[in-house]
Amino acid sequence: MGCAAVKLILEQVRETRGDWQFSADATFLPGIHLVTGRVGSGKSTLAEIAAGMLSPGSGRVLREGISSGTLSLQYPEYHVTGATLAKEAASYGVSPEEALENAGLSGRGEDDPFILSRGELKRFHLSCLSLRRWDLLVLDEPFSALDCRGKKRECERIPALSPGIVLVCTHEQQHLPRTDFLWEMRDGNLHALGKVPDALPFWQTAPKTVRTLVSQGCVPANLTDRDLEEALCRMRD
Amino acid sequence: MIQIGDLSCRTLDIPDLIIPPGSTALIGPNGSGKTTLLRLLAGLISPDRGTITIGGLVPGSCRVGFVNEYPDRNALFSRVADEIAAPLRFARFPCAEVSRKAEACAEDAGLSHLINRRLHTLSGGEKALVAVLAATIHRPDVLILDEFDSHLDEQTLDAAEQVIRASGPGYIVRCTQNMDVAGRSGTVIALFDGRIRVSGRPGEVFSRLAGTCYVPFGWGVLR
Repeated sequence: MGCAAVKLILEQVRETRGDWQFSADATFLPGIHLVTGRVGSGKSTLAEIAAGMLSPGSGRVLREGISSGTLSLQYPEYHVTGATLAKEAASYGVSPEEALENAGLSGRGEDDPFILSRGELKRFHLSCLSLRRWDLLVLDEPFSALDCRGKKRECERIPALSPGIVLVCTHEQQHLPRTDFLWEMRDGNLHALGKVPDALPFWQTAPKTVRTLVSQGCVPANLTDRDLEEALCRMRD
Repeated sequence: MIQIGDLSCRTLDIPDLIIPPGSTALIGPNGSGKTTLLRLLAGLISPDRGTITIGGLVPGSCRVGFVNEYPDRNALFSRVADEIAAPLRFARFPCAEVSRKAEACAEDAGLSHLINRRLHTLSGGEKALVAVLAATIHRPDVLILDEFDSHLDEQTLDAAEQVIRASGPGYIVRCTQNMDVAGRSGTVIALFDGRIRVSGRPGEVFSRLAGTCYVPFGWGVLR
């Protein structure tokens, strides 16, 4: 089945934890979906439900044409099951050599994953994910722990990670991938803001840079560094 | 002043450094030695060689608050209220005072609704906020923050900064990958490959790092 047929539907999905309620009615089509929102607004809950790691209290989650999917957790050490980096890569079903090389860790296959710095471990985890083909890929804070060079590299790599649906849930303020659809969690409710760039004026948790550019009438074409620099140039002119 | 002389620890090599009181940001690539320097300042590890003094005292002999980037690693208790109260309990404050201060601290930070929750049920950002409260409740002389901002949205970060300032530490030393946060610090230190490439006021440091990504977006135009 081609990726054009891939679709993730959250139909009147509700989840309750004490006084807090999560609510989502949404259809995710192939493309990159950026999900932002305040701390505790429900981004991680959305990520878990979308990836099938959490069954909602009510409602339906329909995965049309999705035969492979995974959730990348915020903390990379939660993924570690191998005693060495080579075994860890093998646990993803990917070539250790390729995973190590893509992460800039060539020759370190016998190292214990826990001697890596947190940024290195995150890079390695994302490298392993990038070597598989996913119909649905849910990335919870993929940029945390990475330095700015690592963030830029992941922003460039994310569009190539999957021809299907990619959900990026993040607080990142400076480096973002080219984004097709913008979503926002507000007090437990998922809001569809629309396609980028049309959605940008309605983005309440937009990074300050984006807010400034939009308020000055210099709406960037998208959210990559290059798009923001181009909009900044227009503002300067 | 924090004075560092002839310091060597793992890949870190700092011949001479003075960090003034106030807020300091460490920036630089992954693996450049930022966390090692923070752990040295907190007294969690000892240098292979050299000296560090904080207001004339060795690290560890003054009151230190420490927030790990992965708050789970530092958490000792399963309930939020117990985690926030832990520093006061360890300092043997009376039980009633501990409970009162922990509740007030959570209320001031807008986290009263989480006080009876299990820590493992919180989001990453909420755990980071709890870690900040636990690190500041005993009013530390030195507050060390290891990339805690990577879990927080802008508004929540502003709220956390208020809590931090209100706790009144003489020194706040953080490492961050958010260059806007670094730009709001009094002092910025850029570490590359274990060595200080440049340190000083944010404007001076960012001028020297122009053309790299270790500069806030639109520096000099938007800011």
